[in-house]
Amino acid sequence: MSQWVIKGLRTGIKSTRYPRTIETAPGMSPGLPVATRMSPDMAQMMVTRCPTSALEPAQAGVDVNLRRCIHCFRCARGTDSPMEWERERDFECAGVTPNSNDHDRRFGPAFSRSIHILVVDAGDCGACLNEVKQLNNPYYNMHRLGFFLTPTPRHADLLLVVGALTEHMRLPLRKAYDAMPTPKRVVAVGACALSGGIFGRSFMCAGGVGDFLPVDVEVPGNPPPPLAILHGLLVAAGRKPPALLYRRAEDSTEAPG
Amino acid sequence: MTNMDLLLVVILGLCGAGIVLPLAVEERRIPMALGSLGVLASIALLCLSGVSLFGDVSFHASLWTIPSLATLTLSLDRLSALFLFVAGLVLLPGSIFASGNLSAYLGKYSLRTFCVAYFALFATLVLIPLSADALSFLMLWELMSILIYLLVNFEHELPEHTRAGYLMLAIGEAGTILIALAFIILARGGSLEFASMKAIGNAFGEQARWAVFLLAFFGFGVKAGLIPVNFWLPQAYTSAPRPFVPVLAGATLNLGLYGIVRVNGDLLPVATVGPGLVALIIGSVTALLGILYATTQSDLKTLLAHSSIENAGIITAAFGAGFIFVASNHPAIAAIAFAAAFYHMANHSIYKTLLFCATGTVDSSVGTRSIDRLGGLIKTMPLTAGFFLVGALSIAALPPFNGFVSEWLTLQAMLQSAELASTGVKIVFAICGAILALTAGLAVTCFVKAFAMAFLGMSRSESAAQAPRARVSAAVPMAFLAVLCFLLGVAPTYVIPVLDGAIAPIAHQALAADALVPPFFSRNIHHGELPAGFVADFHKLGAQIGQSVMPGRGLVVLHRGTAANPVVFAMSTSYMAVVLLLMLLGAYVVFRLIVARDRSVERRTVWDGGIRRLLPEMTYTGTGFSNPVRVIFEAVFRPTTVEDTRETVGKHFRAAIRRTRGENHVLDRLVLDPISDAALWVANGFARMHHGFLNAYVFYGLGALLAALLVARLA
Amino acid sequence: MPPELLRVLEEAKARWTGKVRPSLNGGDAAACHLECETSELPAICNWLFAERECSFGGLIVEQGTPWQLRYVFYGQDSGWTHVVTYLHAGEERVPSVSRLIYAADWHEREAEDLFGLEFEGHPRLGDFVLHNDVWQEGVAPMRKGFDGSRPVTNREPDLNWKPRRIVEEAGAFGMPVGPVHSAAIAPVYFQLETVGEDVIRAQPRLFYAYRGLEKIAEGRQADDALLIAERISGTSAFAHSLGLCQGVEGLCQVEVPERASWLRVFLAEFERLRHHVAAIAGICESTGLAVSAAQAAILEEELLRISGSLTGHRYLFGMNVFGGLATDLDDAVCRRAAVQIAQVSDKLAVLQGMLSTSSSFLDRLEDVGKVSVSNARDFGLVGPIARASGLSRDLRKVAPYCGYDRVEFEVPQESEGDGYARLRLFFREAEQSARIISEIVQRIPAGRFRTPETALRPGAALGWVEAPGGAALHWIRLGEGGVVERYRIVTPSFANWHGFRLAAENFAFQDFPIILASFALSVHENDR
Repeated sequence: MSQWVIKGLRTGIKSTRYPRTIETAPGMSPGLPVATRMSPDMAQMMVTRCPTSALEPAQAGVDVNLRRCIHCFRCARGTDSPMEWERERDFECAGVTPNSNDHDRRFGPAFSRSIHILVVDAGDCGACLNEVKQLNNPYYNMHRLGFFLTPTPRHADLLLVVGALTEHMRLPLRKAYDAMPTPKRVVAVGACALSGGIFGRSFMCAGGVGDFLPVDVEVPGNPPPPLAILHGLLVAAGRKPPALLYRRAEDSTEAPG
Repeated sequence: MTNMDLLLVVILGLCGAGIVLPLAVEERRIPMALGSLGVLASIALLCLSGVSLFGDVSFHASLWTIPSLATLTLSLDRLSALFLFVAGLVLLPGSIFASGNLSAYLGKYSLRTFCVAYFALFATLVLIPLSADALSFLMLWELMSILIYLLVNFEHELPEHTRAGYLMLAIGEAGTILIALAFIILARGGSLEFASMKAIGNAFGEQARWAVFLLAFFGFGVKAGLIPVNFWLPQAYTSAPRPFVPVLAGATLNLGLYGIVRVNGDLLPVATVGPGLVALIIGSVTALLGILYATTQSDLKTLLAHSSIENAGIITAAFGAGFIFVASNHPAIAAIAFAAAFYHMANHSIYKTLLFCATGTVDSSVGTRSIDRLGGLIKTMPLTAGFFLVGALSIAALPPFNGFVSEWLTLQAMLQSAELASTGVKIVFAICGAILALTAGLAVTCFVKAFAMAFLGMSRSESAAQAPRARVSAAVPMAFLAVLCFLLGVAPTYVIPVLDGAIAPIAHQALAADALVPPFFSRNIHHGELPAGFVADFHKLGAQIGQSVMPGRGLVVLHRGTAANPVVFAMSTSYMAVVLLLMLLGAYVVFRLIVARDRSVERRTVWDGGIRRLLPEMTYTGTGFSNPVRVIFEAVFRPTTVEDTRETVGKHFRAAIRRTRGENHVLDRLVLDPISDAALWVANGFARMHHGFLNAYVFYGLGALLAALLVARLA
Repeated sequence: MPPELLRVLEEAKARWTGKVRPSLNGGDAAACHLECETSELPAICNWLFAERECSFGGLIVEQGTPWQLRYVFYGQDSGWTHVVTYLHAGEERVPSVSRLIYAADWHEREAEDLFGLEFEGHPRLGDFVLHNDVWQEGVAPMRKGFDGSRPVTNREPDLNWKPRRIVEEAGAFGMPVGPVHSAAIAPVYFQLETVGEDVIRAQPRLFYAYRGLEKIAEGRQADDALLIAERISGTSAFAHSLGLCQGVEGLCQVEVPERASWLRVFLAEFERLRHHVAAIAGICESTGLAVSAAQAAILEEELLRISGSLTGHRYLFGMNVFGGLATDLDDAVCRRAAVQIAQVSDKLAVLQGMLSTSSSFLDRLEDVGKVSVSNARDFGLVGPIARASGLSRDLRKVAPYCGYDRVEFEVPQESEGDGYARLRLFFREAEQSARIISEIVQRIPAGRFRTPETALRPGAALGWVEAPGGAALHWIRLGEGGVVERYRIVTPSFANWHGFRLAAENFAFQDFPIILASFALSVHENDR
């Protein structure tokens, strides 16, 4: 057995220093489309190219609704693409909803270093769930920040939902939410949980969990990388400021390239 | 005529009335008559035995002499009085319970028969401990066997009851024969009276002593439920009708123990270590097997029956330890062992009667005793659940209830084997102590299962969900017994001196009370043997607290050792109960007033993983709960037939997985089956001789004649 | 064209003279089509499965006039055989083949549930994909008339529905587990019937994550279907999109450039490696050997980061397009990635060595969750799970695609079929994948990474791929203008979940999570 102890020690510390410093390792994140100034013709072309209407035409160019982006890269690849793709600090993208301002949904000081999380997969493709699982691996190690996964809603302070909410998962999700003690918050993770993603609204999928549960924090991405989810958790705990999920081209500083 | 004669006449008169009255009154009034007469007779019995037990009064009466055989004699010493008093404690609530439960049988079975047999048995139960000669003892013993058979087989239309009754009767008869043989040896002096048997005790040699011990031990062991002669017991207890089981379990089992003590402790006291070892080993193994089988039962009544075997085993083991200590000349430790045994016997009678009353109440309310079909009864039958819980806590030996005191004392007495010289005996003690400790642990498992699966969780059947509450006739006896469980648990220091009188003659020392319950309360303590420093140390611990309110010896049970080791063990359930209560109260107050002051408690349904409905069939069953025990002890249970019928449609579709687990009780496997196989083998041999040729029969005749001649010649 | 395929054709012709109309497809998608009367179906299928020892690939139902049912088989030497039957007009009954071919059990149940077809003689129809406590019987969402784009409002579900129980033993109960259970796990409900220690029957109830992908793909453009294919199972995204691409490319006879084919092999093997490392991490975690679980998780994260920096996406989303890849990969970057992958493979070998000497770890795996080779065949298990039981079927060898026939590699095989055999197999396959990567990274030719124009045309074709979990079939039918008319996805997890009970039953409760982990099943891939 001692071989494992030695192995563990020799591996050293792998954990990221985020959120104290920003993580810059390559391959961390797929990045995000940037709301870009461009001509209306170009903008229209970009908008038709987007399969989930994440891009919206605007006066100044293309607005981006991050809730809908599924990382298909269609707006980013190819020679005729004026869309920019953000790769620096891009994972700090979790936003908040008006729900999160409710007084009785706020976590008090007792929760500042200990939040137990129930993860419910409401019907995703497995990528988001896998990224949530990565939070426990030595690279992200969310225990160091006081986040713990729990298998039962009775111990959970925070409900992390991934997936587009299928008909079959409505009852389990509702029961899980109801079984949680107050105060409780909901973090919706991934484009599917925010907007239905590629699955959209259908006879099986509800197009996101927002209409079904009071979501506090939204984490965009398909799937969001582990650090984005971690940022979402920190936002839910009130330890990081939220980002904007709808980004306007007119706010963009850069000129069309 | 003394008061005691009068009381005895009253008891017997009431029993006589109980036998005659049913023939006169209407059948539907019989339960009432049974209840009132039973209560009166029990009270009289408690008075009679109480006078002797607390007042140290004995009683002796020669009734009439049967020429050339014996003088029928009745005698009441404190040993008899103890057993009678315990019987009274059982019969009093038992009679109320019986009267309440009897009317259910109205129209189906004859209540008259029940009542007649019940009071006849009542009288027999009173007279057996009183009889002081072998002839009346054996006659009464035989009468008791038959009466118990009649009562067990009360619901005679069910074939399994009849079968259980016959089995019990057959084994009981075998036991009586053994007992009779033991008395024949004891009566070598020519007299059948116990007093004269006792007088010639020294005349017996080693072999005769062994013979008497083994015959009496196993003969009485039949009624006491010791291996290997107890296979009738679970079946008989299960078959016995509801109104009778509490009395059967609480009173008749004790008579077997009484026989063992009377013969082996009093008439011909065990003088060597050997018989004590036999009792210790048989007792320990009985206890382990009893609790193992109890844990895996799913019928509450059968579970309790196996648990009776367990308790009989513990008591017998304590007796065995006592015998060994007596034989090794350690009377003080022997007295502790006997105190433990008697205490446990009384405790067992009380909590087992309580548990059987609660089970009977559940049975009558729900219509089943199968744990796998009960569940959630605490909501529909809260009172019964509470009383069952008290019984379960007591039998699982948890403080502050009575089982804890006696099991603790038993194990403490076993630990004193360190005082013994022989290493072999010490090893046996160590093994048996380990077995008993394991038994105690399994008993907790067993009764957690019994209580949790029957009373907590979801109702597993419609009738369990709508079970009516217990009636007064059931609640009153249960309450009485539950209070006794508590009192015997918190006030052992008041019980042990009472037991002392019964212990003294068999331990050859009357100091059990002084050894176990030092007089910390008495002001003139320095007249006792307690060294001043020792008393001062205990006073620092608060052993004298309460002396001004309660007269008596004190509230600490302890065993004093040598100067180098002044306290061997010490314990006070009274103080423990007070502390427990304070802690509970304190925790409640702290929680209510400080932690949860401005918080409300919300009740939500059970978290079920998000499925549509959590059904009772998805919750643990009693069988499932105890299955680990079954798996761990597979060598004992050895399930013989595991049928695994997979009905398949095509090759892999499955319609059903059917499994029937056939279990052959370890005693049946090792004892009964070889005997019956051998009997069948012999019978087959004889059958083969009967093949019908005339010549063959002539040859048999000739052969027999030759053999007879040969024997005569040789002799 | 494999010679065995011709033999299948001849024998079918001889056996069922006049009742079977055989035909052959040439080219890459070489397949023998046996068109038969509905009544002959069970006999022909049984002949292929039992006598010719073909594997059952899947059942493809297409609603048209008339209804078409396609039973796909593949043999070790004979390649693809399709048994096709058309129902008579107005008839919606088919004789069930699952009594003979148990592997078809769930396919028939799914078709019954989603299309409302009746499979005569199938003993277990009803609650399957559509849960009866959410939907009433009679809802058939895969039918053409059903509008899949909006919620169904009129519901009369059977709220008293309860899981079927078949264990009849005193004290038996059905322990419910899920669908929300454990920490961060896909939704699945287990009904574990037991009397306390051993799981006597383990019945999974799946499809909590059923997103109706086959339905919502219909009516969309083919390249949108590609996005859906990637999201069948996020952890096998590249394999499934590759399967669809090959179907469409085969249908439209698109020539995939050499460079794209090689890069696809590179990425497919990379994904297999990552999938297997995740499976190993899962097994380590289930046994509670924390350091090994952490080591495997480190390797998984390293591989995810290599994916991220190589292709921009940690799960290789958006890489496959019809006719090649969406973007070119720089050769130097590929080589650097291959070096990193080789390092991961080396660390994996060290981990395997350490695990194989940890007796407390092996005790939990050895002789646990055994699946015999005959059961594996009968239940139609695929991929590493089947190969760990000695059933060696690998589409990369049986019906090579993407130029796998030009790559030298070994298909590992074990025979014990227990948890440890599955673990060893994951290690060995991961090693093979790493070897393939380091071999071909030197051989990737220069050239285009994508055919410039892909003209979609109507018709239907089968695409297949050996996904990390095993054989996956993608049947695509396009209409005019590249609109998807039918998209049928047969996934390896669907086959392996069917056989999961083989391993889980008659083992103690504490072995259950380990057996589950050793199967490396994907709920999402099964549910679709």
